[in-house]
Formats: sequence, C-alpha cells, structure tokens
Amino acid sequence: MLVMGEVHTGLLQNSGEISESTCRQVLGITAGETVRVSRRPIVHALSPERLTGVDCTLPAASRSRVRGVGTVVSRCAVTGGRVAQGSSYVRVVRSEADRRLPWSHYLARPGVVEVLGKAKAADLAEGFTGDPTPGSPDGACLNLGAVSGRFLDLVQASPLLDRRAPFKIPRTSLRWVAETGEPSIRFTLHTEQERTLRLTHPGPFTPAVVDLCEDLATHDWLLTSLLVIVERARIGTTPGAAAVARLAPAIDHLLHLWMPAARVEEWLTPFWDSLERRPGFTRQWRSLVDRVRDQVAVNTLALLSASAETGRR
Amino acid sequence: MTPVHATFGEVAAERRIASVPLSHVSVELGHLYMEDFEAGPARLREQFRKVAPWLATVRSLWRERVPGGRARVSTCFLVDDYFSRFSTPAELVPMVLDAAAEHDLTIDYLARESACAQSDGVELARLVEDRLVDDPPPETDGSRPPVKETGWLCNGSRSPRTAPVQAMGKARPWEPPAQNAKRGHSIFVDVELWDERGPRRTWSCPFLAAVWQLLRLGLLRSDGRVPLPPVTLDGGWPRDWDELPAVVRLDPQAAPFSAYTTLSVLSPRFLPVELAVRTILSQVAVDDEVLRQVAGRSEGEGVRLEEELVDRISYVFV
Repeated sequence: MLVMGEVHTGLLQNSGEISESTCRQVLGITAGETVRVSRRPIVHALSPERLTGVDCTLPAASRSRVRGVGTVVSRCAVTGGRVAQGSSYVRVVRSEADRRLPWSHYLARPGVVEVLGKAKAADLAEGFTGDPTPGSPDGACLNLGAVSGRFLDLVQASPLLDRRAPFKIPRTSLRWVAETGEPSIRFTLHTEQERTLRLTHPGPFTPAVVDLCEDLATHDWLLTSLLVIVERARIGTTPGAAAVARLAPAIDHLLHLWMPAARVEEWLTPFWDSLERRPGFTRQWRSLVDRVRDQVAVNTLALLSASAETGRR
Repeated sequence: MTPVHATFGEVAAERRIASVPLSHVSVELGHLYMEDFEAGPARLREQFRKVAPWLATVRSLWRERVPGGRARVSTCFLVDDYFSRFSTPAELVPMVLDAAAEHDLTIDYLARESACAQSDGVELARLVEDRLVDDPPPETDGSRPPVKETGWLCNGSRSPRTAPVQAMGKARPWEPPAQNAKRGHSIFVDVELWDERGPRRTWSCPFLAAVWQLLRLGLLRSDGRVPLPPVTLDGGWPRDWDELPAVVRLDPQAAPFSAYTTLSVLSPRFLPVELAVRTILSQVAVDDEVLRQVAGRSEGEGVRLEEELVDRISYVFV
C-alpha cells in the first residue's frame, strides 16, 4: 500500500568529529553484524538494522480505527563523523487474515506492518504526514518518531563520545511517505524542527528510497543548523569580530559536510534535482556559506588595516 | 565524446552474506546429558532402538517429496558439556557410535552443547539474543521501549505486579497474564533465557536449544560468515572436551550438516523444553538476506518451505 518512515537528525554529542573506527564501534548495535562504511565522497557509517514489534492503531486522517501489526525497521547513521541519525520505517500491507497471527508470521516479513480490516493508502498517508488532528485518537497510535528518537539516543549515549558538542542545535524530524506511481515529491516545513516528505516513485519500493529520505534529512538539518548559527551571529548588529567568533563553529564543523545526493541511487537522483530547482537547497546553502566567508573576509580585512594603521603610527 | 557511465564500489559499504550447503532434513538422533551417561550404555541403546524406525520413515517421506528421490538427510547427536562436564570425548564418543551402530544408525555429525553458547571466539548465544524481537502485546505503538524482565522472554503480557497490602491501601486483585496470539484462551509461557552469578552468565537449556535449532537450519551468520562449520577430525578423539571442535563431521560422505528442516526425536520429558524453544524461536528475527538465500535455493530444487521458521522444525516424542 505505502511505506512510511521518520528520520531524526542531530549533531553528534562529541567535541570533534569522530574517526571511522569510532563510528564502527558507536554503531555496532548488534552482535555479529557489521557496520557498513562508505568513504567517498564523504564518510558515511550505517548501523545494522534492528526490528521493533508493534500492534497498534495506524494514523488515519479520517480518524477511522485502523489496526496494524508487524515490525518497524530501524537503524542509526553517522555522516562525516559529525551528524547522527536515527531512522525507522514500515511497509504497510493488507493482511490476508482478519485477526492477529502468531508472532513468527510477522517476523518472517521484517519491516512489514499488516493492516487488519479496511484502510485506504491515501487516508494513512494524510494521517501520517498531515498536521496532528486535535483530540487524541482512540488507543495507542504508531509512533515512529519515538522509535527513531530512541535509536538516535542510542548513538548519542555511546560511552565513546565525550558529550561536549561545540554548539547546541535542535534535532529535526522528517516524516516521509513513499508510494508507487507517477513521480512526484513534496517537501513541507511545518514547525521549526518538523518536516514532511511525500514521495511517489515509479516501480516497487526498495531500501534506496530510505537512503534518499535520510540524505534529504541530513541536508535539511545542515541547512537548518547553518541558518540558526548565522542568525545567532547577528551579523550587522554585533561587532565584526564577535560575529565571526559565533560563525566559527559552522566553519569548523558543518561547511564541508554538504554532499547532496552522494548516496542516492541513480534512478532517484531526479527527485533531488527537482528539489534543487524548487526550493533550491544548494542555492540557499551556497548563499549562506558565501555570507559566512564574506564575514570572515571583511573581518580579516578590518584586522589587517587596523594592524597596518598601528604600524604607521 | 559519448557520456561515460561510471561505476564506483566500496567493499566496506556492502553487506556480504555467505551461503551454507543445505540438506533437506537434519535429524537429531539424541541429546546426551550426564544423567543419561550415568545410566549406562543400556539407556543409549534404548534411545537408538526407539529412534531407528523414525529415521527410516523420515528418509522415505523425503524421498517421495524430492524430485528424483535424491533426499539429502543428515543425522546429528548433541552432547551436553555445558551444564555438567562428564567423561571425555575419547571415552564417550566411541561408546555412543557403537550403541548407534547396533541399530544400524550412522551419526554424521557430533556437536558440543557449549558451542551454542560460545566457541571459536563466536558467541552464538549473544548473537541470537541480539536478534530477539519481543512479541508485542496489543496497544504497543513504539512510544516506549518493550517491557522487559531482564533475562526472560514471554509470549504475551505478564500479570500486573500484585504489591503487598499497604497499611492504608487496598490489595489489588490478581489479574491473569495473557497470550498475544491467543485463540479463545491463553497459554501463557514465560521463559528464563539466562541467569547471572557475578560476572558469569549461564544460558538456559531452552535458549541453547534454540541456538542449536538455528545452527541446524543454517540461519545464523557472524559478520556475514557461517559460524562453526563442521570439521573432520584428524587423529583420535581428544581427552578434553575443549579440544573437540564445536561440530565434528564423522562421515566424510555425509549430506550437509545444516538443512531446510529439522526433526528431533526426543523423550517426552523434553516437551516443556521444546515449548520454551518454540517460544524463543518465534521471536528471533533471522536476517532477511539469509531467509531469501534459503528460500531461493529450496525453490530452485522444487521444495516448498514453510515461511515461518518454527514451522520448519518438527519433533517425534517417543
């Protein structure tokens, strides 16, 4: 029917970036399973996948009661030794039975949640990505955010991290829904930290779609964080040197991390490309980076002319 | 110039999962505990006498099922060297083999129970523990981590704790536990997986038996490799259990150790243990890729396998 997921992204709680071997240890969350690491064009480490069992109501815009039983797939990732993610998703399918089956049935289909009874894909997609409707739904409703949040916590709580992050920046969450159909993508900013993504892709779902969503989440977090840092620097109202000092963490820790679509399979790159045209993630990123660098340049010039002035006296 | 299509790969970024040779069925001819050993060879002979007709039946059933009648059946025998150490391989193994031979039984593979906990630097039990996915009671929405009683695993919701009556409080009446996938009424099972005394963890018999089943089904991997492949022994039987490889191949011509399905011929006194084993196995998430490998292979030779792994395990209680 559809696939829904949620990615939580945050700054790794460590003073500097961590090495590839530390990444492997931090993300080694299952015995006997290897952490996958790719080094080009940016170091990206991905934990083994783990499952969480659920039996609850699924979000539906119509607020009809739809029961789903199955497992959520989750994993953690660290990009550039600096950005941490917890990511979860479920493939929602119709159950052939109208009652809950023995648990071994669901474990034979990892990452699938089976819907007991009637449900419409559009209703669930709206329910999951739409703004929460007032009034709590009857019974417990699938909370992928909590699952992803716990996997991000798992990384952040690693004893290998010194928990002295260079700056404070909020986590962002990206809820996504993927369906098969005519290609389209819709990225929506809700509150400061909440984003949703509706994706329609040709052909059946593959985990490459999850990679795309995680890649978008990483870059949206980078952009959001850089905006926050630039805003905090209060360029123009604070003295140049002070503004530059506030911008320094971005130079040290963020600017080199921008690698859009680096890990996205070729057939999915048109989705990134269309987001690059509107709203233009890279365009905004470049303009921000230019702003940061211009501030540094102007401040350097000011310092140089000040010292030349002192020299002439 | 025409556009060049570039391909770039990184070995460390891929998952490589080894495949394992598979028989059609792995038959466990027996499981030897100290008490059986102490009862003497007569007890063993009695066990093999009971097993023999069932092995013959299984062979003929699979010959009918497999196109061309070329059924691959391997037999195995498990010796407990984990819960109690007794005798030595040099003394015990020939006795077991002789007793089997009296009933025209060939043991293809001999395994040590402690290997299911740890062997050759691979902690199989930990590996399986990390792959447990708790059977969620209704209203489990992921907002909280699964309710766990450390070291225990159940098939439903436990009875709420009944606290002792406080001076002013009211005693809470007992509420029953409930099985998640009950049909009308519950059969609630709560299994102890391990206990710890100081730093030492002792895995429970059902947990190790669950690992043993997974090993026989060829469904375990450690860093993508097949753990504890059978070893042919050069020279005689060692005098110490620790010197014996985890799984020993006794017949070089034997069909592969792991199989699509397993059959265990056991005394009915093991019934509660096997209920516990099934409770554990129905909460083990086997690697997706491994499941696909096995499914692909069996389909390739025209054998339809049960989807759920607990349905690939069968028993004869005699």
